[in-house]
Amino acid sequence: MKTTTLDWRQALLMIVILGMLGITAFPIYWMLVTSTTASTDLFASPPHLLPGLSQWHVFREVFNTTDVGNWLINSAIVAVGTTVLSLLLAVLPAYALSRFRFAGIAIVGLALFVTQMLPEAMLVVPLYAIFGQLSLLNTLTGLILVNTAFTVPVITWILKGAIDGVPIDIEEAASIDGCSRIGTVFIVVIPLIAPTLAATAVIAFFHGWNEYVFAQTLVSAPELHTASVGLAGFVGELSTPLHSVMAIGLMYTLPAVFFYLLVQRYVVAGMTAGSVKG
Amino acid sequence: MTTLMSLPSLRAGARALGVAAVFAVAVPGAAHAQAKETLSFAAATFAESGRGDKLKLWVEKFNKSQSAIEVQPLALPFSTLAKTVFTQMGGGAGPDLVRFDLIDYYAAAQAQRILPLDADIKASDYKLTEPNKYLVIDGKRYGVPFEISNYQLIYNPQLLKGGKPPATFDEFLTAAKDATSDQVFGFAYRATMAESNGFWQDLCNFVYGFGGRWSDDQGNLTINSPKVVEGVIAYKKMYDLGATPKGADAATYRRMFWEKKLAMEIDNGGVAGIFSQQAPDLPLQAAPSPFPTRAQGLILAPLAINSNTKHKEAAVTFVKWMMQPENQKDLQAILGAANVATVIERTPEELAARPWLKVYDDQSPHSVPQLVKGFEARTPEIQQVILEQVLRVLQGGAEPQKAMDQAQRLVSTRVLRK
Repeated sequence: MKTTTLDWRQALLMIVILGMLGITAFPIYWMLVTSTTASTDLFASPPHLLPGLSQWHVFREVFNTTDVGNWLINSAIVAVGTTVLSLLLAVLPAYALSRFRFAGIAIVGLALFVTQMLPEAMLVVPLYAIFGQLSLLNTLTGLILVNTAFTVPVITWILKGAIDGVPIDIEEAASIDGCSRIGTVFIVVIPLIAPTLAATAVIAFFHGWNEYVFAQTLVSAPELHTASVGLAGFVGELSTPLHSVMAIGLMYTLPAVFFYLLVQRYVVAGMTAGSVKG
Repeated sequence: MTTLMSLPSLRAGARALGVAAVFAVAVPGAAHAQAKETLSFAAATFAESGRGDKLKLWVEKFNKSQSAIEVQPLALPFSTLAKTVFTQMGGGAGPDLVRFDLIDYYAAAQAQRILPLDADIKASDYKLTEPNKYLVIDGKRYGVPFEISNYQLIYNPQLLKGGKPPATFDEFLTAAKDATSDQVFGFAYRATMAESNGFWQDLCNFVYGFGGRWSDDQGNLTINSPKVVEGVIAYKKMYDLGATPKGADAATYRRMFWEKKLAMEIDNGGVAGIFSQQAPDLPLQAAPSPFPTRAQGLILAPLAINSNTKHKEAAVTFVKWMMQPENQKDLQAILGAANVATVIERTPEELAARPWLKVYDDQSPHSVPQLVKGFEARTPEIQQVILEQVLRVLQGGAEPQKAMDQAQRLVSTRVLRK
């Protein structure tokens, strides 16, 4: 009898989970349906609920008629560059905030969040002028740098929380064995906070992948456009090619979704790291 | 303890990411040696399917005619063009040539972000179209019309009872209701803040059509005048009719018209041109908008030269090339049911193939910019206040006169600080 109750509860839980999964996945599915529905059927009543098998050529067409491949590569470069640079710049400040006590530590920690306190739209004009002086306009390097400025504070604080959770005894043991402080960080601490590193990598990657305002303003050369800018270009003053927008939108969304699915368990682990100390 | 990967894997991954980062840094910028003096020309129109490619070819025609100048088309998304260009201008750079919306042209001129052209483009040298007068601010001209597009009723006769367009507003309501079924809507327009600029354009058509204006010739606000209120009431009548796809954005309902799921819309000549070029089987026809007066809104997109340009002479050369009759003719043909800076007569062949062109051309004397006269650069703020009050009428059941009284009061106190 008890087993039956458990089975019933599990079945109910499964239904709830599947329902939530359906709600979450539906927008992506609907993008697929819209992009593969013939123009004449777009406004059919009742609407077509399944992808049109005869319309898959739309994906080939957008590749042949737009720079979507190049946009996705640029987005990937910016996202990966932002991720790498953010992690490199955030690890040591996070370690310092976690392990050292010095005058003004609270101010330093708070100052990290200055970029988070101001909206992008406010910073974009002065940054444009500065980047112009530094010859960083129209470069992917400039985009990586500006995205990194926004991700480093968040990542630093998340990593600090994770490092707080690493027992100091382990580092002391490494020190007794002759390991330098910096060696301890890279050989002992970083492997232990690897799940959190993965989580912060996802945060940085998504920021670089999705960012629009700076990508639109700091880069005007078409060959350096990211996918977010390329996609926005389809929304015209007078018309919007729905098939192209949905097809490219799908191409733009799926890599990020798959990437997240691959590492989401580390994200969860990383986000909660340091929240419970023992 | 769960670890993401072994240390060697971490190192390998780090190496790979490092290589990617180095690759990113090594990606060259846009700057490379140019034999010609290169200018950039930013316009949302370059991004449009159909017209965009043709406009790029038109610019290429200029490039082929020059030995020392090259203009590079820059397609910017319509929704963020002004914001992007103004940001770049504020940073001391930006595109050399810009196709603005009229509202942004006024803002750019008042901020001295664009160059006066009076010394280079003399009105006496050209047979200019009527709307050119709207580009002269305090006696100075800062741009020339790139595109002038009127608003008219476009309709699909197959979906209208009797195949005839409505001539009065009452007929309009009846026609929209009669054409509406499970598969077809009678009429479409915008009524959401998500598309506030389009909402404003559609509201201006109704208000102007009923004889209303947002201000008078002396610069007094007339937001709560009887004629404006009549226009708002008409907007509400259409909203309550059950003949419109509520919430549909312009991209959607224009596509519906294309797919014969919408009987009527009041739209600009650019849209009609796109339908004509890309949906040749669509039985498109046009008629004057069915309001008490012929006045309707006007899309006027000027071409201006950025004050930051380092290529002023080259930019002026392009503008002068654009103003030549042959190039004006080509441009007008590309733009569809739109006019250009100078008067270009349609050929009999064009009119025979697309009779609705004449309906749009005949509207020109009656078209009025969708700006608040005397407060052109403040229009975005005034627009926001008015639309909020109109939404209260449409969705909240507010009494139109009271809502417009409130709009007048708020614009006076909050926007104009009177």
